[in-house]
Amino acid sequence: MATERIAFLTQMVEVLTSTISFGERLNNMVHLLARHLKVDLALYFGLDKAKETLILNLSSQGPVPPHMRVEFALGQGLVGEVAGTRKAKTVQRSQPGVLAANQALEKLHPAFATLVGFPVADDNFLYGVLILVDRQERHLTQAERQNVHLATLMLAGTLRQALLQEEAKKRIAELSVLFEVGKAISATVELNELLERVVTTTAKVITARGAALQIIDATTKEVRVSSEYGEIPRACPSPGEILATPPQAGELPHLQGQEVNAAGGTHYFLAVPLTFKGQLQGTICVYDKFAPNGDYLPFDPENRQLLYTMAGLIVNAIENALTFKQVESLAERNERMVRNLTVVQVLSRALLTTVQEERLLEIILQGLTLDQGLGFDRAVVLMVDEANQVLKGVKGAQRSAKLKDIPLFEALLSSEDKEVKVEAWQMPLRPDQGALAQTVLQKRPYHVKEPARKTGRPLALPPDFAPSEFFVAPLVAKDRAIGAIMVDNQASGRPLEEEPLHVLRMFSTQAGLVVENAHLYSTIEANNRELLLIRERMLESDRLAALSSLASGMAHEIRNPLVSIGGFARRIGKLVDEKSPLRGYVEVIQEEVTRLEKLLREILDFTGENLSFYGDHELNKLIDDTLLLVQRDLEACHIKVIKELSSMPRLHCDDRQIKQVFYNLFQNACQAMQQGGALTIRTYPVEKEDGLYEAVAITDTGGGIPMEVLHNIFNPFFSTKDYGTGLGLAIAQRIVSRHYGQVEVNNELGKGVTFIVTLPVAKYCLVKEPGHGVAPASTLKAPKGGGR
Amino acid sequence: MKKILVADDEMSIRLLYSEELKEEGYEVYLAANGREALEIVEKVPLDLVILDIKMPEMDGIEALRQIKERQPELPVLLSTAYGEYRQDFATWASDEYLVKSSDLEDLKSAVKRYLKE
Repeated sequence: MATERIAFLTQMVEVLTSTISFGERLNNMVHLLARHLKVDLALYFGLDKAKETLILNLSSQGPVPPHMRVEFALGQGLVGEVAGTRKAKTVQRSQPGVLAANQALEKLHPAFATLVGFPVADDNFLYGVLILVDRQERHLTQAERQNVHLATLMLAGTLRQALLQEEAKKRIAELSVLFEVGKAISATVELNELLERVVTTTAKVITARGAALQIIDATTKEVRVSSEYGEIPRACPSPGEILATPPQAGELPHLQGQEVNAAGGTHYFLAVPLTFKGQLQGTICVYDKFAPNGDYLPFDPENRQLLYTMAGLIVNAIENALTFKQVESLAERNERMVRNLTVVQVLSRALLTTVQEERLLEIILQGLTLDQGLGFDRAVVLMVDEANQVLKGVKGAQRSAKLKDIPLFEALLSSEDKEVKVEAWQMPLRPDQGALAQTVLQKRPYHVKEPARKTGRPLALPPDFAPSEFFVAPLVAKDRAIGAIMVDNQASGRPLEEEPLHVLRMFSTQAGLVVENAHLYSTIEANNRELLLIRERMLESDRLAALSSLASGMAHEIRNPLVSIGGFARRIGKLVDEKSPLRGYVEVIQEEVTRLEKLLREILDFTGENLSFYGDHELNKLIDDTLLLVQRDLEACHIKVIKELSSMPRLHCDDRQIKQVFYNLFQNACQAMQQGGALTIRTYPVEKEDGLYEAVAITDTGGGIPMEVLHNIFNPFFSTKDYGTGLGLAIAQRIVSRHYGQVEVNNELGKGVTFIVTLPVAKYCLVKEPGHGVAPASTLKAPKGGGR
Repeated sequence: MKKILVADDEMSIRLLYSEELKEEGYEVYLAANGREALEIVEKVPLDLVILDIKMPEMDGIEALRQIKERQPELPVLLSTAYGEYRQDFATWASDEYLVKSSDLEDLKSAVKRYLKE
């Protein structure tokens, strides 16, 4: 008996210490036990993880097929009772209630008579229950009981060992998974690639069909980045959704569940939150765990635990990557800024090369539209017209790749025909006139996107120039907005980037000053020119004044003796017999005196010693009156008069002097058309910048003025004629300029001359002191058919 | 016979005017300046005075003023080589302003007009 027992225990120890698998060991032990005790069956029921059910794991008769898997709840039947009490117990089929409680065991042994249950436990845990089944009524001896007890201890030891090993294996697996994950996520700092690796690795280590990850902005709830791998049967839950399901005690927040899709397939998912330090939140979610047979399984708590551990690693890696990305984009931005500032610096240098406003604007526009500059598609400079309170388009340019390979400085200075016509742009400086006007009024830049929907649409722009996005910066000089620069990328459709706009904002201040300076410079230049002109005119009028005073002094001295000579000649003429030759001599004296007296009058007229009588007169009437005076001469020369007189307001003028002007011009015409011709007199109103003028155009058909004398015709004492003073045109011009008018000459060689007299209607009605610094205001137009 | 005074500093003009006016049937008195003219105006009951403007000692304007003060009804004609004072003759209260010319028809017709012949 003792030998038998030792043999049994030896065999048990051999099995226990063998290297075969735990399952085999347990099977062998159960088998040995049944054989040793000579019972029909030895069964081992293992307690499940939930510690609620006892499931048949082992049978002394070999593997348990699935349909034979018998289970008992805790407290149910002998199995449940022994598990609950942890004490061995023997029952007989004949005892009341035994069969009913252990009905399930009939499946395994239809004719059982005795059932003996032993707890399989060590000091800490209950692993399961060992049940011995026999067809005969049996009562185990003391020694048998001891043997079974030893055997259950060995079973418990083996089971603990197996559990420990399984735990260790899991740990190792988890560690290697984490190693894999760590390896994957530390291999890159590029965010998109990192996320891709994270979802791929996660899906693989959890053996899931798919995985998804998303990171959202905690404040705006907008998705910042996301990544997916494999099959995604449902959207990745948001962190909010996960946190909305409160976790059970001792669990970390997660969202786990299953869904049935339209095709009837069941899908499982498990999502855990990603917790970042900053303003970010995220979720990582896995879908459908693969079963070895290809089915989908729900995720277990170990998967959850693993996903959590991975989430921690992922968060760190993502935070690193995000930081790296920020640093990288900062560096990139700095680089762009440096480039743009270099552009501004080169542009400033280029702007120093000229003071001409036109050139400056060209350089500015080049800088804005060159590829190696700020690279906008289009740029337009607008300037404020202070007098009319409007903003006007001055110059525009568009991007062109022609100068791409030339260094910026040279490219800025080379002009290129890529102009945009903007001269017609004009908008009143009112707040309701859109962003362009507002920019000037508020002295601040505007960045307008989709202007059609907002009020920012630049009004008064041609429809073909209606950018969907544009930027406009004021040109400010001395705290005054003198204009604006507008840019867009309409042609290429690129969005306007922040950096070039920032640079433009900075640059516009400098541009404003430069343009203002150029403007001042050109004003000074214009003033200078005007001063020079005035000086020239004053010199001329000085010359004329000197001539005048000389002439008038002489004229007075000459007039008295002339009167005597002429007067006495007449008296002699009366005394001399008509037939006497003396009569002829006296007449010559008389005629010459008369001619000299006429000359004197003309000289005195020219020198302005004759005073003015101003009044309001009708120009057309003055012309008609003058025509009467020359009627006889016109008829003598067979000159046809053509009048085209428009009715106009009265002129403030000295009628006598103005008639003198027309008289002189008509006389000239007569002399030019000795052989007949046509004299055309046309009157018409003229709008000038400084007011309304009336013009008289007197055209003859006398063949024109020879080129070589044309420039002399207004000179006093110049004459092509054998008689006359040559003062006719000079006097006319002087009178007209005293009236603040102008005499123009249109000479058509071979045809005739047109003199155009233009007189202001009312603006300068004050009479200036005669003979003082009034400049002759005549202009000579270049004759047709040749230059002077 | 109507009495006419001619005041002019130019002897040749005085001679010409007096010859012409005598021929027209007037009695002509002559003066070489304004002062002489005033003396004659004091002594002789004149019908008309012809004054040159620019004269030594007393010019025609001053003589005109004094004559009109004493005898406002006496017609005074200004006859001068200077056309430029024409606009002032109204203020001077002369009756006619004539620019000297070798053709004395203007002068003679003005004289006739004032003497209402």
